Amino acid sequence: MKKNKTMIICFTLPATIVFLVMFLYPVIRTAMMSFFTMASVSDSMSTWEFVGLANYAELLKTSIFMTAMKNMLMIWLIGGIGVIFFALLFAVILTNGVRAKSFWRAIIYLPNIISAVAFANMWIYYIFQKRFGMIHNIFATLGLDKLARTDYMNGDMKFWSLLIAFSFGSVGYFMLIFLSGIERLPQDYYEAATIDGANKLQQFFHITLPLLKGVFKTILTFWTVSVVGFFVWSQMWSPVNSESQTITPVVYMYNIVFGNTGMSERMPGKGAAVGILMALVVLLIFFLVNRLFREDDLEF
Amino acid sequence: MGLKKKLLSAALCAAMVGTMAIPAATVSAADDTLVYWSMWESTEPQGQAIQEAVDAYVAETGVKVDLQFKGRTGNREALQPALDGGTQIDIFDEDIDRVNGMYGKYLLDLEDLAKEANYEETAIPAMMSACREAGDGTLKTIPYQPNVFAFFYNKDLFEQAGIESEPTTWAEFLDVCQKLKDAGITPMTMDDAYATSVIGYHLGRLVGEEKVVEIVTEGKWDDPAVLQMAQDIENLATSGYYSEMVGSNVWPAGQNTELALGTAAMYLNGSWLPNEVKDMAGPDFKWGCFAYPALENGANGVETNNFGAQVFGINKDTKLAKEAFDLITYITKGEYDKKLSEMSVGIPADTTNAEWPEMVACAKPLIDNSTTRFTWAVGVETNVDMTPIIKENFIKLMAGTMTADEFVEAMKSAA
Repeated sequence: MKKNKTMIICFTLPATIVFLVMFLYPVIRTAMMSFFTMASVSDSMSTWEFVGLANYAELLKTSIFMTAMKNMLMIWLIGGIGVIFFALLFAVILTNGVRAKSFWRAIIYLPNIISAVAFANMWIYYIFQKRFGMIHNIFATLGLDKLARTDYMNGDMKFWSLLIAFSFGSVGYFMLIFLSGIERLPQDYYEAATIDGANKLQQFFHITLPLLKGVFKTILTFWTVSVVGFFVWSQMWSPVNSESQTITPVVYMYNIVFGNTGMSERMPGKGAAVGILMALVVLLIFFLVNRLFREDDLEF
Repeated sequence: MGLKKKLLSAALCAAMVGTMAIPAATVSAADDTLVYWSMWESTEPQGQAIQEAVDAYVAETGVKVDLQFKGRTGNREALQPALDGGTQIDIFDEDIDRVNGMYGKYLLDLEDLAKEANYEETAIPAMMSACREAGDGTLKTIPYQPNVFAFFYNKDLFEQAGIESEPTTWAEFLDVCQKLKDAGITPMTMDDAYATSVIGYHLGRLVGEEKVVEIVTEGKWDDPAVLQMAQDIENLATSGYYSEMVGSNVWPAGQNTELALGTAAMYLNGSWLPNEVKDMAGPDFKWGCFAYPALENGANGVETNNFGAQVFGINKDTKLAKEAFDLITYITKGEYDKKLSEMSVGIPADTTNAEWPEMVACAKPLIDNSTTRFTWAVGVETNVDMTPIIKENFIKLMAGTMTADEFVEAMKSAA
């Protein structure tokens, strides 16, 4: 078919304009804002005051921001290991001829179709609750009084209860990605390996894992993006105003850009700097992941 | 490609681009339409009452009103950018300090309009002066849904413990707590979301709000008042006056599962509380309330309280100032103020609506006797970088998992 350049331009123009207005403009404006101070996020540029890298320097000196960064890193690392381990485990089990595969797959994926708000409430009120939560009841029934009295929502354990609840809900999503990755691997390799006498474990480590490199790359990128944007769960664990156990960089950004219940000063410039730093974190991880999982020339 | 097809494709492209321009074209309403961005949701009792008032106003006056329910978060995130972007918004509302503080530069001075309408004749003086105070000495906002932050309690439980009068001093308060405890009742509970109000009130009673702001913004945590406050709270914790759930209550667990269900007697909160928990508390729940007790050698007493209101503001660029003020008057006076108060179990703004809903009637003497105003959480949330740390450590102090000295140390090292 003959290409008609005018028509191509006509049809791509609306999407291009939307992209430029909705994405590129805010990105550029945010990047610029991070070098200025202003009273409100929508103040006109003429009122901005240039401060150079001061917003970034101040952020690195702000202890609550560093706490938020530490929380995010711990969610990424510890939660990441747990989520990826279980997602892979379930995916491997489900692709090894387990009965009622669709049922199990649906059950494990289920938390992803429930709103995070409802799901967080379920964890807070029905599982972690100190008086009538599920964990309390199980330990009480077993006669383990000390464990039954443990307060999973107190100031020292809030981070861990949050991490467990969030990670639990994430497993199904990543399991599906692993599942699709494993299912497209050619069965010939496994047949040949079986004939050669390799057991399931050897097949997993020598065939499945190496061939899933590309999937790991996708999963690490998706996990990073979801952890960097960690917001709703933190708000659910600490409603109205944040706590150091549950604060993450984007929650901190929201607080300083829009203010909270008190009459605290709003700092949109500093908030923009948080946004830029988070974008850099994603880029850095993406770059590292690409280096770590170089595409092989494998074709299957 | 045939000419017909080309023309059709071009028309489709034009249609696509055209639809993109529609939102921009509808930003401004017609000149004769009042645009009101409401802080409520259309499903809330306040939203429903306001909708009724607006409908009646439109029917009576013929003025067109475009009422948009944005919700708290919607207004908080989008109002200012919309105002900066020149969107037509004639009336908006939110908390008294937020509207006067953050949106102050967009507000029309309402002194003349209020005088002309003789508005203040039937308005609560304390609320009007609070608005003037928040508006740097001039009236820029009109209060409605007044509220006061105080101890709300279960009268039946007080009666059961043989308590005859509400405490006004700290010693009396401790006595009330002990009596409740002796009667086998948990004296009080709290939720995490309001923990900062407890520390704010206690510090504020000791040294006043100005000093509280100084402590949190300048890191003056070595002030003796901080230790004094922490010791008082530690004393409440070690005496067993707080619920064992206080360390892990995530709002609204404490107010819903403890206070409303009658397992705890007192809860420090705003006068919106009875409305929030009415379905759980049931119709027989008898509400009482008293001001945060005065402390020995404190800077202020029970006459100083965190009271305020939601307020209406009018955009200074509006072309319909008179109509906007009339609509506000319509909502905040007479029949519709009464309706709003009844539907939301709130305090009426119009003094001729002398009968308050029974559930909040206990707050009347409190508001009548309040002469000086604290702002939200008595200023303890002024430093956004410290609020999460204050909240977390103070909850530990209330839960008894941290001592007063440890609290002060934690604050000093975080500042």
